[in-house]
Amino acid sequence: MQDMNLSDLFVSLTSRIGLNYEFLATGYESQIWRDGFVTTLYLVALLIPVSLIFGLLFAACLTSGKLWLSSPVRGFVELTRNTPTLVQLMFSFLVLNTFVSNLVGGAQNNPLTPFFWVVAVVGLHIAALHAEAIRAGIEAVPASTIEAARGIGFSQFQILRYVEVPLAFRASLPAIVNNLINLVKLTTVGNAIAVSEITYASIMVWTQRDNVVSLMIAILLFFSIINLIVARIGLWVERKLAVPGYGI
Amino acid sequence: MNTSADNAIVRLEDVHLSFGQTHVLKGIDLTVNKGDAVSIIGPSGSGKSTILRCINALVQPQSGRITVGGTRVDQLSKESERIALRKRVGIVFQQYNLFPHLTVLDNIVLAPTRILGADRREAEKLARELLDKVRLAEKADAYPGQLSGGQQQRVAIARALAMKPELVLFDEVTSALDPETVGEVLWVIRDLIRDGMTSILVTHEMRFAEEISDTVVFTENGRIIDHGSPEQIFHTSDNPRIRQFVGGLSGGRGAVRDGEGI
Repeated sequence: MQDMNLSDLFVSLTSRIGLNYEFLATGYESQIWRDGFVTTLYLVALLIPVSLIFGLLFAACLTSGKLWLSSPVRGFVELTRNTPTLVQLMFSFLVLNTFVSNLVGGAQNNPLTPFFWVVAVVGLHIAALHAEAIRAGIEAVPASTIEAARGIGFSQFQILRYVEVPLAFRASLPAIVNNLINLVKLTTVGNAIAVSEITYASIMVWTQRDNVVSLMIAILLFFSIINLIVARIGLWVERKLAVPGYGI
Repeated sequence: MNTSADNAIVRLEDVHLSFGQTHVLKGIDLTVNKGDAVSIIGPSGSGKSTILRCINALVQPQSGRITVGGTRVDQLSKESERIALRKRVGIVFQQYNLFPHLTVLDNIVLAPTRILGADRREAEKLARELLDKVRLAEKADAYPGQLSGGQQQRVAIARALAMKPELVLFDEVTSALDPETVGEVLWVIRDLIRDGMTSILVTHEMRFAEEISDTVVFTENGRIIDHGSPEQIFHTSDNPRIRQFVGGLSGGRGAVRDGEGI
């Protein structure tokens, strides 16, 4: 028992119920797999703020009442909502990225990595969904409340900042949390362009080890736990922001 | 700038305003002196609330002159100029329109700190004084949703006063309240007027208008039909339309409020 470490114990215990995690004892595959978890977590941690910031920005454009601001964003929202994210990602990486490479004189000069494209495509896609949720929330703020704010002397931006967004955010929070849960799952599209997140890393391992079920269980548990946490935090924020007498 | 000998703080001259095809104001002339309380009465849809919104630059008339404390409101073209005006003119609405996500105290403190750049601590001190004035000191940390209509309206008044306005516009501030809570709001307004706050009130509370006003203005169909002292409008007017209106609403002198709002 003395020289048997935790992962050896795990491998021997799970093998008794027919699961195969033997690769954990090897340096290389085990490293790839662990990095896969880290990459996915890194993607999630980066994508949540990126999607929220752009979602807010898009919503502000959509509700600005200025056509030159709202129409390009409206166009983008429709495009990203109505087409498969996987196709968007492939298009971005195979077409846009190549275009950038040609522009800077070769792929070796192109600073944009596959990781960047996953963050850009998934982040902006979810941002579009956030924007629609926030827009609905902003439009639900009573016109009389906004008139009162104008009457007091708030500027258009101050009304957005201090009245519309705080109210809209509360109203759209359940939809936003839903979008974030989708976002976590959507990080797996990265494997299509060789971003070594957890599904990509797992495929690398199971093509060698033929242990699909064992790895699947780990993947499903992993995503379930992340999304359980996201949903919990969402609920906590919802309760924290709940306002007595305001119908949410 | 205002070198005229008279004491006018608000002056409307031949103000016309349309919303699309609807001609709402058809030549309004109105003068309000500093420290005065002016009540605007008249049937619904006669343009009373629109007059207040013109004074506060929430709507822009098509023609006519509007002067508020030396500012030609009808000539303001930039939003920043309108904002500068609104800082000086408080307005209280029928539906209170408090910010539901902020506590009572924050509702009052928000505008002075964010618009006037007041120090948070000083703004809070003033807010508590105002809450004391509207008799809601103990509700500072409550949310609007936890207050009755009358309490919310008193907070709305405190919120308007926190900007230290030169005058306050009251737009049917008791119309959404039940008869029992009307009194508590009117009490606060009465105090304000006694303290010398220039006030323009659109109201259906005839008894109250009679009691607190220096001048009463009767509007109908976008025009001012008559104006004068409360005594003139409520009791000695020879205009049959006014007699009918004030008679129908207040039951004449000495009527109790139970007679209203049939």
